[in-house]
Amino acid sequence: MSLDYVKFAPGFEKFMPKEYRDMVEHGPFGKKTTVSQMGSFKEILEEHPMCAGCAMTLFIRLAMISFPNPEDTITVGTAGCGRLAISQAAIPFVYGNYGDQNGVASGLSRGLRLRFGDKPKDVVVMAGDGGTADIGFAQTLHSWIRKEKFTTIMLDNEVYGNTGGQESGMTSQGAVLKMAPLGKKFEKMDMVGMAKVAGCVYVATVVPNNPRRVEAVIKKAVLIAREVGPTYIQAYTSCNIEYAIPTDKVMEDAKNVEDNRYKFSEYISEEAKQYLAERYGYKEFLPKPAAAVTQA
Amino acid sequence: MYLVADIDVDICAQTSCKLCTQFCPEANTILYNNEIGKDKGYKYGAAYVAVDRCKGCAQCVWVCDNMAKHHAIKMIMIDQLPKAAITDNVTYGEKTTTAVLASPMVG
Ligand SMILES: Cc1ncc(C[n+]2csc(CCOP(=O)(O)OP(=O)(O)O)c2C)c(N)n1
Ligand code: SF4
Ligand code: SF4
Ligand code: SF4
Repeated sequence: MSLDYVKFAPGFEKFMPKEYRDMVEHGPFGKKTTVSQMGSFKEILEEHPMCAGCAMTLFIRLAMISFPNPEDTITVGTAGCGRLAISQAAIPFVYGNYGDQNGVASGLSRGLRLRFGDKPKDVVVMAGDGGTADIGFAQTLHSWIRKEKFTTIMLDNEVYGNTGGQESGMTSQGAVLKMAPLGKKFEKMDMVGMAKVAGCVYVATVVPNNPRRVEAVIKKAVLIAREVGPTYIQAYTSCNIEYAIPTDKVMEDAKNVEDNRYKFSEYISEEAKQYLAERYGYKEFLPKPAAAVTQA
Repeated sequence: MYLVADIDVDICAQTSCKLCTQFCPEANTILYNNEIGKDKGYKYGAAYVAVDRCKGCAQCVWVCDNMAKHHAIKMIMIDQLPKAAITDNVTYGEKTTTAVLASPMVG
């Protein structure tokens, strides 16, 4: 887990596939690559079997670019569509049994702290809404209540996409799905509210039709989880298959959903603001000069 | 046969706004070459598609039409592209890439 693990073993360079060589020589490791540079450096995400046009795929692609230190990051996932892509990136991926991801990440993040001390090693969980809010609900909530320091990202496509369209706790009330033909009877779960109550120090909702915002949110969440406490991002990542969205309308849908019911929101604790300002130079969180405070 | 995205260099090179790749779900697919179009007086280079990675979703078409409002991308049957960029022929450089175009058809 350092820059060394992506380098070639001496003498093996010429036997490595082109994609691997490109990644070592022109990938994001050890550099600060950003969303605005996309298309001009080799990304660490490789080809994968997720559906054409899937917004979850786009979100995962953006996430991989946004990790502050990809060479010091481990992703944790579980059953569901997302792992099909997350596992095809050049950063270590740990597969937790369905719903176990936040338990696995708790142990992993504690172990990394014991082994590496203050050197940051980032643990990022990315799992579906079913994995996070239904089957993994207890483990998700308990990791937050225990103040485990890692980032949880819910890939919220509002359905069990990988198994053909069952409703989840995150499906909207009334939604009719292939395996929920009568329509969902209950409201969408308020996981954002629960994250705050359970002690997450950073909570955000995003939609991938604003790539730079996704980048900013992921960077903050990962940095804060290094020292301050658990962080949670809930991302609307539509399933174009189960919701029958034509692939060329996926971004139009994202925009409509964002406008109507998935607005960008961000909660950040005072301690986390101070940490970002002092440690990582986030100007917007620097304490206001005394004059500005008295005027306000 | 199947559809892939094809970018009209003459339209794209006028701005090379770099929006489409930020919305393509596939990694390393819409790439930029900062040199394309310089021989015709354009300054910013242009986008192109590594067609072997394109899944044909047309999300980039929607983005170029509706967000960038440049209408530079069309979906085209892969056998109608005489030459195209494919991953094996892409070279990464400092903040740019280049591709030697080749027939995308195997055999
Ligand atoms: C313990 C266990 N129960 C059930 C399954 C079957 N299973 C695989 S993926 C999945 C649903 C995934 O839904 P979600 O977590 O919302 O992710 P999505 O596929 O929608 O991204 C289920 C029920 C499993 N793999 N393991
Ligand atoms: S089933 Fe839905 S969520 Fe899963 S890869 Fe396909 S479009 Fe994406
Ligand atoms: S959105 Fe259109 S104009 Fe902008 S870079 Fe892409 S193809 Fe070129
Ligand atoms: S059609 Fe889809 S996969 Fe192909 S380049 Fe456009 S956005 Fe990417």
